[in-house]
Amino acid sequence: MKKTIPKIVLLAFAILVAYASCGGRTVSLSEVVVVPDQQITLDPTDGAWYAHPYHPAKLILQDMVEPRLLEPSTVEVEVTAMTDGKQIAFRLEWVDDSQNDLPGPQAFIDGCAIQLPTEESVSIPAPQMGEEHKAVDIAFWRADWQAIVDGRADEITSIYPNATVDHYPFDAESLKKDPDAKRRMEQRYAPARRLGNNRSGPRKVPVEDLRAEGPGTLSPAKTVSTGKGVRTEKGWSVVISRPVPGFLSKEKSSNIAFAIWQGANRETGARKMRTGWIPLVIRGAENE
Amino acid sequence: MARVNNWQLGREMSYWYPEERPNKQFAAVFDINKCIACQTCTLACKTTWTSGKGQEYMLWNNVETKPYGFYPLSWDLKLLEMLDGQEWSEDGGRYEGRTIFESAPAGERVLGWRPEDEDYSYPNVGEDDCAGQVDGGASIQMPHMAWFYYLARICNHCTYPACLSACPRGSIYKRPEDGIVLVDQGRCRGYQECVRGCPYKKVFYNAMTGTSEKCIGCFPKIEQGLQPQCFVNCIGKIRLAGWISKPGEERPDNPIDYLVRIKKIALPLFPQFGLEPNVYYIPPIHVPTSFTRQMFGPGVDAAIEAYKAAGAEGDDDLTGLLGLFGSTEEVLARWKRSGDTITGYNDKGEEAVSVPLREPVSIRPSYDKLYQITRVNCP
Ligand code: SF4
Ligand code: SF4
Repeated sequence: MKKTIPKIVLLAFAILVAYASCGGRTVSLSEVVVVPDQQITLDPTDGAWYAHPYHPAKLILQDMVEPRLLEPSTVEVEVTAMTDGKQIAFRLEWVDDSQNDLPGPQAFIDGCAIQLPTEESVSIPAPQMGEEHKAVDIAFWRADWQAIVDGRADEITSIYPNATVDHYPFDAESLKKDPDAKRRMEQRYAPARRLGNNRSGPRKVPVEDLRAEGPGTLSPAKTVSTGKGVRTEKGWSVVISRPVPGFLSKEKSSNIAFAIWQGANRETGARKMRTGWIPLVIRGAENE
Repeated sequence: MARVNNWQLGREMSYWYPEERPNKQFAAVFDINKCIACQTCTLACKTTWTSGKGQEYMLWNNVETKPYGFYPLSWDLKLLEMLDGQEWSEDGGRYEGRTIFESAPAGERVLGWRPEDEDYSYPNVGEDDCAGQVDGGASIQMPHMAWFYYLARICNHCTYPACLSACPRGSIYKRPEDGIVLVDQGRCRGYQECVRGCPYKKVFYNAMTGTSEKCIGCFPKIEQGLQPQCFVNCIGKIRLAGWISKPGEERPDNPIDYLVRIKKIALPLFPQFGLEPNVYYIPPIHVPTSFTRQMFGPGVDAAIEAYKAAGAEGDDDLTGLLGLFGSTEEVLARWKRSGDTITGYNDKGEEAVSVPLREPVSIRPSYDKLYQITRVNCP
């Protein structure tokens, strides 16, 4: 009996603060609320985002596998969500002092990801990358891909402006009239591109779809997500949009998790900050 | 972590995966005494494999001058400083210190570090710089009082690769058919953990493909029974590619086994790191062994003695075998000396090449009587 009293008190307190108002915006402390809207926007700066409640998701260390960070870095990511019934869009905003979108040796890239159970994962998978037979779907946004989508040229001089290269074999005079032969020659020196590795090569969307059944099992999935990220005064504001999963509706809630990588802190792969599962509900303001 | 046998350390050690030696293990012997730092090997590799975008800085094969040359900068010094106590037992048969796997700090799979972008900017640093100084009145002696040597380096296709164990998603694999270590370019996600983990810094990040790339041991050539590009193009004929047998299964008619395990004149590079690297070096004979002992392990003095004795004391087997270096494009699996002829055999047991024990030497007199002119050696 002793134990139940504080629990009830806590619950009442949680309900009270669940929808607090902060600087004109509504805060949802315990869940990510997806608000139905006529139209979703991929623009992180769109005013529509400010009409919806945001969830300040606390970030914790990835602590399951090596290699990992030992010291926490990014503290929190603010998540706002909306849906038009077909697509579900999440805006992630976090503080990051430096913009890291140039790849290179010992240079790492700012990024963020959302993770949901798959349609097949009937009961909830392990929060860190899922588990065997309980897969998770991940949509991953990276700042360097955003820069490429925004027009950064697929050239070494985009990364090293002062680079001079005497000659690449695929720039040979003899290949100028044969674009196919030129491309084949180019791929000979870029096996990752030749193999269609999602990590390589020019991109049309800054978001990559992935599936995992536990740490180390991340594999490419069919492209269904899209998004856009912009630099803000404090850090990044990124929208990731994907189809509404079949198991999520106004009647049925689900869970979602987030991860943030800070390039300046050499975060990559398992060296990241992440959340546990957070309840995900579709709830319109007008329905309340 | 599993317990595995590392014959170079004379003991078991901890490794991320259980011991699983390949059916055959690619191995090589480089005779440092013959390298002239012409960098032909470097270019042979560069033009064959790394002429693409994002590969501009990569040297899967490089040749640096020791003690002051490094590519990337300070690759060996950095780790040597991080690795505590590297003692060997008094007889040199057992490594008493800890390997990079056994010294992995919290949160890491191996003890490692990652070079900065700029560390790759000086591939020629320290070139031909001497250690020590020559004072007035000095004369040549062995080992030299002022010395340097050339260290040609490729990936060691290690038995216990740190690159492989550092990769959290298993994108690096060791081929069972030849022990060559490869990065799966379809699976790699460019985390650069392998770059951090490899103590020899022989994996490189490609910013244009977003993946890490490394020496592939010219596997398409190896599959045809041919030695890699940097071997067959070597001007100094310092290199020999072949197979090293599993510990305890060495055979005297296997050229690599003979040089590494039987004569013990070829030694691994920094065995104390614990990777069981498979490129073996005949150490430089003119360099104080107080330096080379750290680099090639406690067997250095004996190796130099045996190497010198080959010529001085008429060890025709060893002298003859050294003559097979750079004599053929084929990988030599076996060898035999019959009198003054040394023959190398390929994987199929066919004769690949025969060389004389000693090349015939003829010396032209410096004065040409016919044309009444003094000959000079330069064009
Ligand atoms: S030398 Fe480095 S890259 Fe090569 S196998 Fe060993 S650890 Fe891997
Ligand atoms: S080609 Fe041979 S001699 Fe020339 S630098 Fe390379 S290893 Fe040394």
